[in-house]
Amino acid sequence: MTNNTADSTWHSSMRQTILTPMIASRRSLRIAVFVVFGLALSACSEDKPLNTFEPRGPRAQSVLDIMWPVIWGIIFVVFLIVCVGGVALAWKNRVKPEDFDPDDLPEQVHGWFKGEIAWTVAPAIILAFVGVYTIIGIWDLETKNEPAELDVMVIGRQWWWEYRYDVDGDGFFVDADGDGEIWGVDGLGADGPGGIDGDSDDIEWPLEYILDPDDVSTAGELVIPAGVQVDLYMTSADVIHSYWIPRLNGKRDAVPGRYTTWSVEADAPGKYTGWCTEFCGLSHARMRMSAIALSADDYQAWFENQQAPAAVPAEGTPEFAGRETFKNLCMSCHIIKDGDLEYNDTEAGDPWPTSVPLIAKGAPDLTHFATRTSFAGAIYAQYRDINPDDDALDVSTYLDLPGNYRWNEAELRRWIKNAPDRKDANYENQQGMLPFPQLQEEELDNLVAYLATLD
Amino acid sequence: MAIIEEPLALPPGVTTSTSKPLGVFSRPRNATGLKDWLTTVDHKKIGIMYGAAAMFFLVIGGVAALLIRTQLAVPNNELLSGDAYNRVYTMHGTVMVFLVVMPIGAAFANYLLPLQIGARDVAFPRINAFSFWVFLAGGLLLNTSWFLGGAPDGGWFNYAPNNGVIYSPSHGIDFWNVGLLIAGIGSVSGAVNLITTVLNMRAPGMTLFRMPIFVWMSLVTQFLLLFAVPVLTVAQVLLMLDRNFSANFFNVSQGADPLLWQHLFWVFGHPEVYLMILPAFGIVSEIIPTFSRKPIFGYSFMVFSGIAIGFLGFGVWAHHMFVSGIGPVSVSAFSFATMFIAVPTGVKILNWLGTMWGGKLTLNTAMLFAIGLVVQFTIGGLSGVSHAVAPSDTQQTDTYYIVAHFHYVLFGGAFFGFVGGLYFWWPKIFGYKLGEKFGKWNFWMMVVGFNTTFGPMHILGLQGMPRRMQTYDDDMGFNLWNMVATIGAFILGVGTLLVLVNAFFSYRKWKADGRPDVGPDPWDARSVEWMIQSPTPEHNFDTLPIVTDLDEFWHRKYAEDENHKLRRIATGAEIAQPGNGEGVHLPAPSYWPILLAFSIPIIGYGVIFSLWLTIPGVLLMTAASFGWALEPADDLDIPHDDHTEALTHG
Repeated sequence: MTNNTADSTWHSSMRQTILTPMIASRRSLRIAVFVVFGLALSACSEDKPLNTFEPRGPRAQSVLDIMWPVIWGIIFVVFLIVCVGGVALAWKNRVKPEDFDPDDLPEQVHGWFKGEIAWTVAPAIILAFVGVYTIIGIWDLETKNEPAELDVMVIGRQWWWEYRYDVDGDGFFVDADGDGEIWGVDGLGADGPGGIDGDSDDIEWPLEYILDPDDVSTAGELVIPAGVQVDLYMTSADVIHSYWIPRLNGKRDAVPGRYTTWSVEADAPGKYTGWCTEFCGLSHARMRMSAIALSADDYQAWFENQQAPAAVPAEGTPEFAGRETFKNLCMSCHIIKDGDLEYNDTEAGDPWPTSVPLIAKGAPDLTHFATRTSFAGAIYAQYRDINPDDDALDVSTYLDLPGNYRWNEAELRRWIKNAPDRKDANYENQQGMLPFPQLQEEELDNLVAYLATLD
Repeated sequence: MAIIEEPLALPPGVTTSTSKPLGVFSRPRNATGLKDWLTTVDHKKIGIMYGAAAMFFLVIGGVAALLIRTQLAVPNNELLSGDAYNRVYTMHGTVMVFLVVMPIGAAFANYLLPLQIGARDVAFPRINAFSFWVFLAGGLLLNTSWFLGGAPDGGWFNYAPNNGVIYSPSHGIDFWNVGLLIAGIGSVSGAVNLITTVLNMRAPGMTLFRMPIFVWMSLVTQFLLLFAVPVLTVAQVLLMLDRNFSANFFNVSQGADPLLWQHLFWVFGHPEVYLMILPAFGIVSEIIPTFSRKPIFGYSFMVFSGIAIGFLGFGVWAHHMFVSGIGPVSVSAFSFATMFIAVPTGVKILNWLGTMWGGKLTLNTAMLFAIGLVVQFTIGGLSGVSHAVAPSDTQQTDTYYIVAHFHYVLFGGAFFGFVGGLYFWWPKIFGYKLGEKFGKWNFWMMVVGFNTTFGPMHILGLQGMPRRMQTYDDDMGFNLWNMVATIGAFILGVGTLLVLVNAFFSYRKWKADGRPDVGPDPWDARSVEWMIQSPTPEHNFDTLPIVTDLDEFWHRKYAEDENHKLRRIATGAEIAQPGNGEGVHLPAPSYWPILLAFSIPIIGYGVIFSLWLTIPGVLLMTAASFGWALEPADDLDIPHDDHTEALTHG
């Protein structure tokens, strides 16, 4: 978790602005969402959150089960024999320059045919055995739930991950009639309803992905129930990315124009961090993600909460003013589904479904922004642990959090004001978030206050 | 031996007039200094120039490497921005692969192949010069990107669609693309030349299975170049059409499949890694027998394992794509194939150990570097086995574990072999030995620096640190080993620099001592390049050696006495050729190779910036081609007299 020591902007009026509505309206929050923060804390307290040797799920465990015998059984033994043996051999057979005698030649051995055959065949046999286990392992990693339990669509974008949950069970992105074809993600082909006009000079790529209005779209964090294998259907909206939560499974690329499948499963609730591992351009280093595994009940509560529309603040409040700012500045890229902010409807006469909110230009869906533990491609913590010694700043009593957490307001303000400063962006080219230098302090206050209500 | 340069034989009775041709088409004569180097067609000078150019590019690639390590020394470092980091790491990889390791291999091959097969030059001397100049032109064009809008930022692998104009709008990737396209011309023409040379110009009696292992490994390397580089060229032409002429080969929105690039790139890219390592394998296969005073253990196994590596190298490319979603059938097949490429590689390692087994080893610097290759390459090869296991590769690929792996192979392997080769052949090339005292420092600093840099990267990778990352966070557990690796990198940098420092001081000492003759055979070596004087005379061999054995030269020095005891019957100096080149006919230098080569980057800049620029480029290219074709086969004023020896075997 990123720690911000300087936090001069936090004062009592802000506390009122931000926390009051949260306290008033969001008792249900605690049930699902803030469990997550406790888990986030525990993940942060671990030394090596990405360690491949500490699997926390059956898939990662099965990979490690193949890795260990290869590493210790073959690699280490051969290393000892060849490397240590070779150095020892060289040392043993050395002749000092002063002892050099041109007539004292070693036996002129030209080879040992049987031996050479042996050390050609023996490794081949050993490797054939390894190969068999490898192939079994490869196919094991491809198995999916039959029948499907929970499928999530994963879309890589520069530089964050989008997740789609098929809430209404209409199989919007997973084929309902079971012929294995994925559908519902449009615009991948030249003929898809994605809005490409066939002009090769059109740089409107990435194509827009039409989201089922009844479904849930989140960003950065994949929330899953613990103990359940979650099958992922992955693609990319721009360049190739790679999805990797090391403690849950190996990695798999998300390739534009193709679908790849992968799955993750966590043994127990917790936060498991990951990192995009295919070089994806400018801010590749800041394209991170995590999987948050919840107990079945918590997951259900979270899932239901995600389906609810966002609250519309009362008119006249600072939050309402923030929502106006959002409408003016943010909505050309972001989406908040609160039943009222309908926008980007495709024009009448367009063959594509109308009244479908598009995720314009591929920015995250912020409907339940405040329920996430991180933002900006999972690089900043959304809530942060405050200094436990500083009682005056303790917000845990308001929020009933498992630790001393509060809204990471300072970081969020900096992010909104000048995102490219925190995360390199080619925003002229629709890669990464725009800076908003024109935002006044008050507008920022209101906007951040509004975002805090989105739980 | 300039058979190719000979005029065709005329029917009897027909006479030729030898009137002087037009001035510009005459060959340069009595060139000295810079002009000599620019117009030379001597394979030795061209080899030296390949080496010097590689050293120049090594400095660029090395500075890039140190920048990367400095940036990663501490978390959240802001020395390099994300943009700058991407450009620097892209150039580090590209420069090191294409402009350092490949040309060093070419340098050794150019210098040594004719010498080791007992020839006076390569088959096509002018094409040889052209190959070098066109490589240099491509390399320089690529590096001008630093000043002309920014270096490429797509990685050396340059995956689609991130390499498209939409995602990388600056000209960097155009420079990458065009520069390597141009350098690739040099690789292919050089390969054709050297293959022809080895197959057609061996000294009398030198059958294929009497060729030194280095010749064999270089021959396999040239075949790999010949078949692999054109695949990259195809990919790059497609990319050029995409980027510069609005084609849609990699445009996903027009239905393209971005994995096409990956397949093409790695069909080239995997043979590429073998063509980088095989010359170094050849070098240590010369060094280890010499300093063990034994013949290479299992010559035929060494040869065939090299050939097997060459063949298998074309069948394993998709192991770079295990997580690309190519499907379990493909992954299984390539996983299996990849494992078996470890077999011929293992044979080589064990045979080197077999050569040292029971030998009497002289542990000088060249030998130390050779042993360094054997040990460090083995570590790299073993970590390679761990990601041939595809499920395990899903955790390892694109992490620092891979970075560790290929640096153990290419730096700890190939580069150590090259430095060993420099120490070994330096006296043959320049006439003096590199200092041993400095050499030991050189070796040990490089070993310590190298392992301190890349050893910890195994740990970092398995702890989950991805590659190509501009920075990382404080709480990820990467801090310690990154700092260690950075310290190691600076030790390694200084250690590598000691090669040049040693060359400088050894030369000064040699000069101060009045340039003593190092003798033709300073190491009691085995192959025929040591039976000529050092430095190599311009004409190589006074008379071409008649070869009756593998290790021909050694067999001329050692024989069994009446008691069937093997002993030395002559020193190398006693049986070496005196270096008298009288009557030897050598190909004349030429202006045209360099002119033709440097017409191509003009066209390259034209493709990048403005097509108008291609017009002068094409004009120069046409003129140079005609000049090349119309140039007299030889300088007509110099009489051809005696090259009967050269013509006897064809």
